[in-house]
Amino acid sequence: MARLELESLSRHYGATVAVRDVTLDIPDGEFLVLLGPSGCGKTTTLRMVAGFVEPSGGSIRLRGEDITRRPPWRRNTGMVFQNYALFPHMTVAENTGFGLEMRKVPKAEREAQAREALRMVRLEALADRLPRQLSGGQQQRVALARALAIRPDVLLLDEPLSNLDAKLREEVRIEIRELQRRLGLTTIMVTHDQEEALTMADRLVVMAEGAIRQVGTQRDLYERPADRFVAGFVGRSTFLSGTVEAPGRFRTTGGLALACDPGAPPGRAVLALRPEAIGLDPPPHADNRLGGEVELLSYLGPVLEMHVRLSPEDRVVVHLANRAGLAAPRIGDRVALGWPAGAGMVFAEP
Amino acid sequence: MRAGALLLPATLVVVAGLLLPLLLLFRYSLNAFVPGQFMVEAVTAANYVKFFTDPFYLAVLWRTLRVAALVTVICLILGFPLAYVLARTQSRHKNLLIIAVVLPLFVGNAVRAAGWMVAFGAKGAVNASLLGLGLITRPIDIMYTETAVVIGIVAVNLPFMVLSLQSVIEGIDRAVEEAAFNLGAPPGAMLRRVLLPLAMPGVLAGSILTFILGMNAYATPVLLGGPRFQTMGPLVYGQFIEQNNWPFGGAIAFVLMAVTLLLTTLANLVVQRRMRR
Repeated sequence: MARLELESLSRHYGATVAVRDVTLDIPDGEFLVLLGPSGCGKTTTLRMVAGFVEPSGGSIRLRGEDITRRPPWRRNTGMVFQNYALFPHMTVAENTGFGLEMRKVPKAEREAQAREALRMVRLEALADRLPRQLSGGQQQRVALARALAIRPDVLLLDEPLSNLDAKLREEVRIEIRELQRRLGLTTIMVTHDQEEALTMADRLVVMAEGAIRQVGTQRDLYERPADRFVAGFVGRSTFLSGTVEAPGRFRTTGGLALACDPGAPPGRAVLALRPEAIGLDPPPHADNRLGGEVELLSYLGPVLEMHVRLSPEDRVVVHLANRAGLAAPRIGDRVALGWPAGAGMVFAEP
Repeated sequence: MRAGALLLPATLVVVAGLLLPLLLLFRYSLNAFVPGQFMVEAVTAANYVKFFTDPFYLAVLWRTLRVAALVTVICLILGFPLAYVLARTQSRHKNLLIIAVVLPLFVGNAVRAAGWMVAFGAKGAVNASLLGLGLITRPIDIMYTETAVVIGIVAVNLPFMVLSLQSVIEGIDRAVEEAAFNLGAPPGAMLRRVLLPLAMPGVLAGSILTFILGMNAYATPVLLGGPRFQTMGPLVYGQFIEQNNWPFGGAIAFVLMAVTLLLTTLANLVVQRRMRR
């Protein structure tokens, strides 16, 4: 039962704060993703769990034991590094068996277990190769096998897919996820790629400027973002700035009067709209019904992306599902747009 | 053609300044020496036979080898941690640190040895300090011992070792060390199984450089070892300048060169084979 608890974990470098007050409870077998832009503290958090970075404050508990001050070699975490960090002078089999060698597992048993780990990533045929003789994707799988071979309490993935090309990335994503689920491994993955995060995670943690902004499932983050940052980072949003004048009434700085969530408190705020929440040619009684001019049009395959000018100050991005019979507007066309009041997310501005 | 033109000046210098004198020297080493007549034209192996049959000369060769090997090992042990810190430091002053390592080379060998003489003498700084601290009751002999020579040569050679190691360690990904720690290797095991094998090219280059410099040292053994501490370098000098025995001096020089070349090549082969496996 490898439950991992981080409590008020923080790390300063001089006056700069890399990680502040991170508290997370990761149950056994969960795939948790730390998501955020570069410099948000997600990698530092992961490295504190591995033991490479000493926390300035807070504690780390693994299986209920405090491991905050324990050196990395006595933690039993399995890490997959961004650049794989394979031992270049050892064969694939030796790389995979290294952790077992350090655990003084007898040679025959060690080789069998290393082979088993390589079988899991379908690389047993390449056991005698050196890392430099492998492709990027194969190296990545060796790194995974090496981390799995020690039967770690926690699997730590540091942007493991960022050096693979797009096609391969999709395959490996599914492969890692299935392996993790089958082994029931508690896993933390760090990434700045939201698509990767959304497809792999059980639960996500969005970080910015060293702190947690929101913890939740994909649906939580997308439909109920905690703040403007999360609304912009997970999925796309158009932000209209303005004021909540009265319950349910929002006026943009461009002068548009819009219906919004009646629960939003009055005051300066931004209204965030998802591109697919806005529809073309709304019914006459729609909450919001506005005319605008198409300024930009992109054909993205499943959707058609339109940038529509609603007022001199306000422009929204709209995604139209690319269904048969869609009468696509052209640049310069006047169109009618609409959305329900509840589709807009209101965030108070200081 | 253009590559050839670029190589020409250096090639000329090497041929005229190194290869021709070496050939000449080799020819001299086959000549005979008749006291009073200087060098007599001949083709004989007598000079080489004399060297390898006289226990005195063999002892000098053995002493030189021992000193060079000891110096190399000490430079490696002292140099590796220093090189590691230099390679891994994030300090803005890294260039200054590297200059500090090279700084001793700014002083000539003879001047440096003179400095050691002051330090090592019976009333020198080392003995004065130890006496003052009450650690010893009478001055210990450092001057004119093998210890003094080894210390002196180590001080000269250490920068070469450090720079060779540092450049190689810098090329080793830090994440590889972390991977070893992560997989359960304590620092000692990480060093033995990961860092040292990967740093081997630097260990080899630094050791060969240090060993060659140690074998051929001249000023340091003369000044710190004294007249009774003979090594190969001063021995060659003595034959040429004091005995005027050019044939025998030439033979000793060739023995020194051949032994050095043989050992470094051998070390290279052994290490490369072990690394390839």
